[in-house]
Amino acid sequence: MVATLLGILAQIEQAPFVRPAIDWHAVAPELVLLAGGALVTVFDLIFMERGRKYIPTLTGLTFLAALVPVLTLWDNGIARSLFDGAYITDRYALVLKALFLLSGYVIVLMSTNYMAEGDYYDSEYYQLISASILGMLVMASSRDLIGIFVALELISIPAYLMAAWRKRDLKSNEAGLKYMLMGVFASAIMLYGMSLLYGLTGDTKLRSISSAIADQGTTPIITMAIIFVIIGFGFKVSAVPFHTWAPDTYEGAPTPLTAFLAVASKAAGFVALMNVVLYAFEFQPEIAEPFIWLLSAATMTVGNLIAIRQTNVVRLLAYSGVAQAGYMLAPLAVYEVNGIEASASAVVTYLVIYAAMNLGAFAVIMAAARRTRSGEIDSYRGMLNWAPGLTVLMTIFLFSLAGIPPFGGWFAKFEVFRVLLTGNTFSGVSLAVIAAVNSVVAAFYYLNIMKNMWFMDAPEGTDQSKLKIPSPLVAALAITLIVTLVTGTVLAGPLRNATDFLAF
Amino acid sequence: MSDFLREYLLVAIFGLMAFVLVGAFLGLASLIRPDRPSAGKIENYESGVDPIGSMWSQSQIRYYIFALLFVMFDVEAVFIFPWAVRLEAFGFFGLVEMVIFIFILALGLAYAWRKGVLRWA
Repeated sequence: MVATLLGILAQIEQAPFVRPAIDWHAVAPELVLLAGGALVTVFDLIFMERGRKYIPTLTGLTFLAALVPVLTLWDNGIARSLFDGAYITDRYALVLKALFLLSGYVIVLMSTNYMAEGDYYDSEYYQLISASILGMLVMASSRDLIGIFVALELISIPAYLMAAWRKRDLKSNEAGLKYMLMGVFASAIMLYGMSLLYGLTGDTKLRSISSAIADQGTTPIITMAIIFVIIGFGFKVSAVPFHTWAPDTYEGAPTPLTAFLAVASKAAGFVALMNVVLYAFEFQPEIAEPFIWLLSAATMTVGNLIAIRQTNVVRLLAYSGVAQAGYMLAPLAVYEVNGIEASASAVVTYLVIYAAMNLGAFAVIMAAARRTRSGEIDSYRGMLNWAPGLTVLMTIFLFSLAGIPPFGGWFAKFEVFRVLLTGNTFSGVSLAVIAAVNSVVAAFYYLNIMKNMWFMDAPEGTDQSKLKIPSPLVAALAITLIVTLVTGTVLAGPLRNATDFLAF
Repeated sequence: MSDFLREYLLVAIFGLMAFVLVGAFLGLASLIRPDRPSAGKIENYESGVDPIGSMWSQSQIRYYIFALLFVMFDVEAVFIFPWAVRLEAFGFFGLVEMVIFIFILALGLAYAWRKGVLRWA
């Protein structure tokens, strides 16, 4: 045995080192973001307190700068593969990278005043956001179990810290701790599944795993591996029954971070889930599909039913986000008949539109909270008087979330239903029926918020002067509003073309 | 017996050897050493410090920060050792890669330094 070990060591000693060919253009977005993040840290260390007010701007610029190579890569139009197919930059990855960078930018805009006005460590906050977004960029391209896991941890660990950012608030501490414990638990389950996959196939690349288990059917061990991996990502996207951390974490965390968790972090979880299910479990639909069908149906139903009873608007959006995750899971439950491109396209379309409308709703909540200092739906009564503009914006975002044309959410739902109904299978049609019923239920609680804003009188003693909204928040509202409006109308077609992933 | 199980047999033999060796050494020593038990000899050994008070004593929270910084250097070392063994093969490319790696980790130290974490008081 010792001889074998020494033999292996000797071989390593003699093997020549082959420098991996790195396509620098393909990893340019990540490198720009990494360099920008390091620059912000150095800037903070040099100027300390004096430089505080420039940090959000610098971080935002970093995100926009990282968007430039994404655009040149898109223009270039070639799918690039690094490290023997472990890291791929194709159109699918690029759409998602652009989504992550833009949502990161909007979240920085939303955070600017919130962080500056409270008693927070703000420069660290922006550095952590950059780190988390970097993880998402890596996630979009990873086609390898190790890459996916490293990216997932890079996304999650800064988020655990930021969830507890309101240091002296017990609710925030609870938010951070709950999120961390649940996240670590999910990672452990997912790792167990991944270790089974590696043990079965001897490879970590998704494509190799896919071909290695393609003809092995549904042995118990493969079933276990697939279910464990999906459960692990189920926590990240807050699918029922793995959603229990979401409402408490969303309520306790600082509001911009709640938006970050509900949009960017959830999207990253979906990307990981899509990569694994569509690349590695391509030939195991008989295991993956029924399980995702169950998750999807349970997620939208339970999320909506609990959302009806919420009185706090942040918790309501948390549960509505759970329900929306159910709609996003649905196309993945029918990937066999439609082909993986159609399913992925529907999910990515939904992710893009969901990011815009949900970030917009959170931006309105933050703007309103500057007056009401509370997240209770009752406090929105009479908002039409002191913030007519916000009332209209919130109405648009809520209509969009409910899926009412002509706003973006309508097109997102349309794409999901199209994929569900195309194959005309029992599972697809039944899931579509469940989703349709749920959309009606969801409209009830979205309309309830609007009723409070438009028709109810403000309680006695409310300050009726017009609300002033700081300019970064106005910019965030404008960006999300524009995206919500155009994706449902003029840009719906181009968005479908962009997510038509031929290179998948 | 299959090859697969034979591998596990090796592990079992390896584990058994550990017990046999420790037993042999301790048994041999007990035959030849003087035997004078005292109260001081059965106390817990903690780096030469007298064990005083209950186990639930409080310790300085500052140690926690130092421990975190220590982990940073520890991780750095874990990656540098295997890299150093093969530096000749990696050449200039490997050197640049490691400089970037150390720079990013050193940024963490610079951060701690500037924010006054290294000051005890």
